[in-house]
Amino acid sequence: MIESSITTNRMDTSNIFEKELDLRCQFNILTRPNGSVIYCEGETTVIAGIYGPVNCKMSKMLSDKAYIEMNYRPKAGVPSVQDRFYEDIIKNTCETALAGALYPRASVIITVQEMHDDGQLISCAINAACLACLDSGIDMRFIFASISCFLTKDGNLHLETPNSKNDIQAVFVFVFDSVKGDVIVSHTEGVYSIDNYKQGLKISREGSKQVFKFMEQEMARRMKQENTS
Amino acid sequence: MSKLREAIISNCEKNFLLKCLKENTRLDGRSFDEFRNIKIEFGKDYGCCCVYLGETKVLAQVTGEIQIPKSSRPSEGILNINVELNPIAAPNFDPSSKNDLFTQLNRTLEKCIKDSKAIDLESLCIKMSEKVWALRVDVNVLNHMGNILDCASIAALTALCHYRRPDVTCDGEVSIIHRFDQRDPIPIVVHHYPVCITYSIFERGQFILADPTLLEEGVADSFLNVSMNAYKELCGLHLGGKAELDIDVMIKITQKVGKRAVIVVEQIKRALELENSRRSKKESIGFHNLVSNSNEIDDNFERCFDSWRITPYKKKHSSNNYDSPQLGIQENKSDKMEQRGMGSAVLIPQGFEEVNKDWGGNSEDDDADVVEIPREIPSVSLVDSDSEEETTIVLNAKEQTKKKWKK
Repeated sequence: MIESSITTNRMDTSNIFEKELDLRCQFNILTRPNGSVIYCEGETTVIAGIYGPVNCKMSKMLSDKAYIEMNYRPKAGVPSVQDRFYEDIIKNTCETALAGALYPRASVIITVQEMHDDGQLISCAINAACLACLDSGIDMRFIFASISCFLTKDGNLHLETPNSKNDIQAVFVFVFDSVKGDVIVSHTEGVYSIDNYKQGLKISREGSKQVFKFMEQEMARRMKQENTS
Repeated sequence: MSKLREAIISNCEKNFLLKCLKENTRLDGRSFDEFRNIKIEFGKDYGCCCVYLGETKVLAQVTGEIQIPKSSRPSEGILNINVELNPIAAPNFDPSSKNDLFTQLNRTLEKCIKDSKAIDLESLCIKMSEKVWALRVDVNVLNHMGNILDCASIAALTALCHYRRPDVTCDGEVSIIHRFDQRDPIPIVVHHYPVCITYSIFERGQFILADPTLLEEGVADSFLNVSMNAYKELCGLHLGGKAELDIDVMIKITQKVGKRAVIVVEQIKRALELENSRRSKKESIGFHNLVSNSNEIDDNFERCFDSWRITPYKKKHSSNNYDSPQLGIQENKSDKMEQRGMGSAVLIPQGFEEVNKDWGGNSEDDDADVVEIPREIPSVSLVDSDSEEETTIVLNAKEQTKKKWKK
């Protein structure tokens, strides 16, 4: 049984790589933040903005590095426990990636605002946070790219949200760093086997290269615009 | 503490602004009665919209759930309006602490939309004193460039008009909520369209500015929020600050607001009509459509990074040649762009190969997408006599002048 499901997975992976992810972004959409971006993965859309380094609250101040104030705002209602959890994931990712030791006793405010959720919300929010950091020009150790991988009930893996959301059995979210391609974050929801996970990781790693390439292209275009204007 | 993060207005700015007002000009070139442009975008969900007022940006979302009604009004639905000062809008906004601005915005908006009975709450009743629809309007401020209130009121009203609630049928004791694909969703009944319009008052009513920007808001003595609908009926009035105002000034402003309200409501209705026609044609809607996804870069990659890095920093400010295409081409001739592994590239100026080898080895096993560019470039190009950099010409010129001096 397991054997057969793996073979179907392998068949499916070849299709996945041919498909290009639908990523879009636009820098500098807000005038107030030091760096801001609107970022879309498929239909999932978020806005991210970063201020910093700015003055820090006495109670939150860290003597050896910058304190990161991460705010994840849902579109409707007050932030729930789930939203706090997402906030924590993004915060941890940013803490490892930002060179916080350069700004001791200061704080960096990163805000991610949900605009539309089509299933890839966490990966979209993490990528948006990275792009916002790049836009602001804050010092970073490495850049990071996140990707969501969906396991459907028929045992197939997809990097894009499947059309019928009832078919989703599990969701894997991975974040990779740009230097060695290591996993920095692994977040899963749902029921899956170890093989599914390994397969998902492999596909996600391939997919993350597309995201990195996209970020690079977008940054290049941004530089170009900055130079010509 | 949070005072430190606020955008502080210096005396220079303040005096300059007041001086400009005396000469009948505003800093952004508008006339005193002119408003900034309104732009309304809709999300894919019902009741989701994004409103721009100039550079001020606000996101609104309406959500509905079924609740037990208030015992004092058993046959009326519930409407809650909540303005959230998102920390993305300004660094001093803190979602955990509710400050004066937060309270004032929420109350004024509530007065404008809820207390003016713009929304028909009776139609939201499912079963008397048991089940009613409770609507919640969440307004998230995304960019604070002055006059949040006007922007938020337009966003809240547009979102309410755009919202569709699922149909509910009662079958004796059981009530069924139908999915959108089973029965057409029902829009909310809106009796009239009230909008808030803000004026800033300077020098005891001497200057009155429509739609103040962030700086103007900070300098102004006081402000006047007037809520009015398209029929020019007054729905709310709020005067804040510390100016003494004559009654006739107040009446004058209210008359101006009347004219403006008609225009704003017209604009909201037009945006909603356009959106509905797009939805009925089943066009793809949502915020993702508003972001362009052209994958190719307008100019080639290398040139972009060349001009980004090679140009010495001094030139950026002093010389106009920086943007000239000629310079870029010349740089391309002398330098090479080399691919190293997947997604990484190296920029090699002429006569630079030997230095590269040290760090070049690393990038092969990396998935690195950072384009690493050796830092030594400016100094090398200065030494290199073949280079056509402007700086070298300057150096030569100096030598020449020195020779001249010797002569």
